[in-house]
Amino acid sequence: MGAKTSLFLLALLAVILGFARSDFSVSSHHKLHIDFWNGWTGPDGRVALEMIRQFNQENPDVEVSMQRMEWGTYYNKLMVAEVDGRGPAVFVIHASTLPRMEQAGFLADVRDMFEGPRALPTSDFDDYVLNQVKYDQTYVGVPLDIHPQGLYCNADMLKQAGFVDANGNARAPENKEEFVRAIKSMQKLDASGHPDTWGFALTLWRNNFQALIPQFDGRYMDESGNADLDCKGNVEALEFLSSLEKQHLVPPPENGLGWVGYRQKKVAMVWDGVYMLGDLKRLEDMPYIGAPIPVLGHHAGTMADSHVLCIQKTMSPERRDAAERFIRFLSEHSIQWAGAGQVPARKSVRNSAEFAKMPVQYAFSKQIPTMMYPPRTHILFELSLEIDLAVEKVMRGRATPDEALKVANKNCQTFIDRDRRERQAKP
Amino acid sequence: MTYTRKRGMDAWLFMTPYTLSFAAFILVPVLVSLTLAFMQFDLTSRNSIQFVGTRNFSDALKDDYFWQALKATLFFVVLMVPCMITTGLAMAFGMNAMTRGRNTVRALLFLPGMLNVAVASILWGWFYNGEFGLFNYLLKGWGFAPKPWLSDRSWAMPSAVGMNLWWAVGGTSVVLLAALQQIPRSIFEAAVLDGAGNSALLNRISLPLLRPVMLFVVVTNTIAGFQVFGPTFLLTRGGPELSTRALVQYIYETAFNNYRLGYGAAMSWLLFAVVATFALVQYRFLKRSVA
Repeated sequence: MGAKTSLFLLALLAVILGFARSDFSVSSHHKLHIDFWNGWTGPDGRVALEMIRQFNQENPDVEVSMQRMEWGTYYNKLMVAEVDGRGPAVFVIHASTLPRMEQAGFLADVRDMFEGPRALPTSDFDDYVLNQVKYDQTYVGVPLDIHPQGLYCNADMLKQAGFVDANGNARAPENKEEFVRAIKSMQKLDASGHPDTWGFALTLWRNNFQALIPQFDGRYMDESGNADLDCKGNVEALEFLSSLEKQHLVPPPENGLGWVGYRQKKVAMVWDGVYMLGDLKRLEDMPYIGAPIPVLGHHAGTMADSHVLCIQKTMSPERRDAAERFIRFLSEHSIQWAGAGQVPARKSVRNSAEFAKMPVQYAFSKQIPTMMYPPRTHILFELSLEIDLAVEKVMRGRATPDEALKVANKNCQTFIDRDRRERQAKP
Repeated sequence: MTYTRKRGMDAWLFMTPYTLSFAAFILVPVLVSLTLAFMQFDLTSRNSIQFVGTRNFSDALKDDYFWQALKATLFFVVLMVPCMITTGLAMAFGMNAMTRGRNTVRALLFLPGMLNVAVASILWGWFYNGEFGLFNYLLKGWGFAPKPWLSDRSWAMPSAVGMNLWWAVGGTSVVLLAALQQIPRSIFEAAVLDGAGNSALLNRISLPLLRPVMLFVVVTNTIAGFQVFGPTFLLTRGGPELSTRALVQYIYETAFNNYRLGYGAAMSWLLFAVVATFALVQYRFLKRSVA
C-alpha cells in the first residue's frame, strides 16, 4: 500500500470517527445525563445494567450511565471525586458508611422523595432501615435493599445427614443443638483420620462474629456512643465461635476453606451475605438452600446492611428531577434487583408472590425483624479492623474472647475520643 | 546573542518539559504533603481543618500500629535485600559463565519483572493457596505436609518476600551481569596464570570490582523494600493479625480509608526519614569499602 493511499485511508477513518462522535454528541446533547456509581462488580452489576437499559428506554429524555468499581477502592474514589466537585449525580453507599459521607456534607437531602403525590411511602420501609438514612428530620438516601447474613447449606449433604422436612426436602438446622449435630454428622474423615469434608466453615470471620452479636444481646457502643465491644453479649458470641474451633468443628484458622470450600462441596454449611447467591447461581450442579442463621444465642438475630441510593448535593433542578426519577424507578422495580441476590427494602415488594418464589432471598428476609446493622460511627473502618484483630486472635488461640475484646474496646475508645476531639476543634 | 548564551537557552528549552512535570508531579505534591503533615486535615470534617504543629508526628511516635507497621517493613527489608542480592549475584555469575543462550536466559529472567505487581501477586496468591495452590499440591505429591503460606504469622512475610524475589530479581541480576561483563578478561587471565583458584577469582577480583554496582543495587533495593505495598497488600491484605501490614499500607489506609490526610502525610515523612537514614548509612559504609 502506498503512502498516499495510507494517508487517504487514515483521513477517511478520521472523518468517519468524527461523524460518529458528532452523531453521538447530537443524540445525547438534549438528554439529561445522569452518571451512576456503585461497587456492583459481580453478577449484581449485570442486573443493574439491565435495569438501567430499561429506565433509559422508558425515559428518552434521560441517559443514565453506570460506572462500577471494586468496593475496596470505590469509597476512596467517591470521596475524592466529591471533594473535587466531580462526584456522580447518583451513587450507592452502604448504610454503615453513611455517617462519614453525611459528615463530609456530600449527601443531598432527599426528604422530598418521601413526600408529595409521587412519594415513596415511608410505611413501605421498615422503621429500622429508614432510620439508618435519617438525620434529624432529613433523609439522605433511599434504601434499595437489605443484605442480611444467613445460612447456606448443601442440600444433598443435609439430606444424607437426615435433615429433611415432611416432604423429604433438605431442612436447615434451626437451633444450637441441631446446628452442632448437623456439623458433626456432615464432617467426613479421610483415611488418615483428618476431616476431608467439613460440616461448617467460617467465611469472613468479622461478619460471622457480627452475625452472632444480636443473638447474644451484644452491642458495639453504649447509649453515650462510647465503645462497648467487651460487653457480656459480645464475649459470649465470640466464645461460641471459639468453641467451634476448639472442638475441631470448623477448619483450623490456617486452612483456606470457607466460601471456596463450600463451592467445592468440601464444606456443608457457611454463613454469608445474601449477595453471594449470584456466585452460587453460576454453579450448575450445586444443590443449595438458604435459611436464617440458627438460634445459637438467646434468640434469633443476624447482621445486615443496605445499599442506599444517594444524590449529589449540587445539581440543577432538571438533573435533580431526573436523578430522583431514576432512584424511584430502581426502588419500584426492586423485584428485579432481588434477582441479583438481594432482599428488597420495600415491604410491598417483599410481600409479592414473585419474591416468595425466590427461596434464598425469601428465607434470608425472615431475619429482618431481628437484624442489626453495624454502628453509626465515623470510625467504622478502625472499628472493623479492631473486631477483625480480636476475632483473629481468639480463633488462633492467642487470646481469650474477653482479653481480645478488651484490647479492641480500649483501642476503639481511643479512636472515638480522637474523633470527638478533632471534630469539635475549630480552626 | 552570544554563542554561550544561546547554548544556555537551548539547555533550558530542552529541560523545560521535564522541569515542568517535575514541578507539577513531584515538587508541588511534596510541598503539599509537607504542609499537610503539620495540619489536622480530615476529608470528612473539613470545617475542623487546622494547623496543629508537630502533633501528627508525636502522635505517630506514640501509635502502636505505626511501630508495628514499621517493624513489619523492616522485617521485609531485612529478608528481601540479602535474598535479592545473593540470588541476583548467583544468577549473574551463572549467566556470565554461559557460552550459549545467555540472552534468552536473561530475557526469561527479566520477564516476571515486566508483569504488573497486581498480576504477579494474584498469580502467586493462587500458588500459595492452602487448599488448591500449586506449592501445597507439589508438597503433598512429595509426601510433605502442606504449609500455611499466607495464613500463618510466621510464614506470611517470607512468602511475600518469595513472591517479590521472583518478580524483581531479574532486574537486579541483569544489572549485576552488566557490571560483571565490564570487568576486563585480562585481569582474570593474569590471575589464573598467577595460580589463582575459583575462590580467589571470586573474592579478590569479581566481588571487589562489583562493589560500586553493589552499592547502587543495595541502596535501591533497600529503598524499594521500605516502600513495599503491592506484594504484601495484594497477597495478604496485611494479615494475618497485621503481621505483613507494611508502613506504606498503614499510611494508605490512614489517608484514603480513614481520610486523615494530615496524619498520613506525617507518617509518610517519618518513613522518608527512616529510608533516607538507612540509605545514607549504607552509602557511606559501602562507599568506604569501595574506596
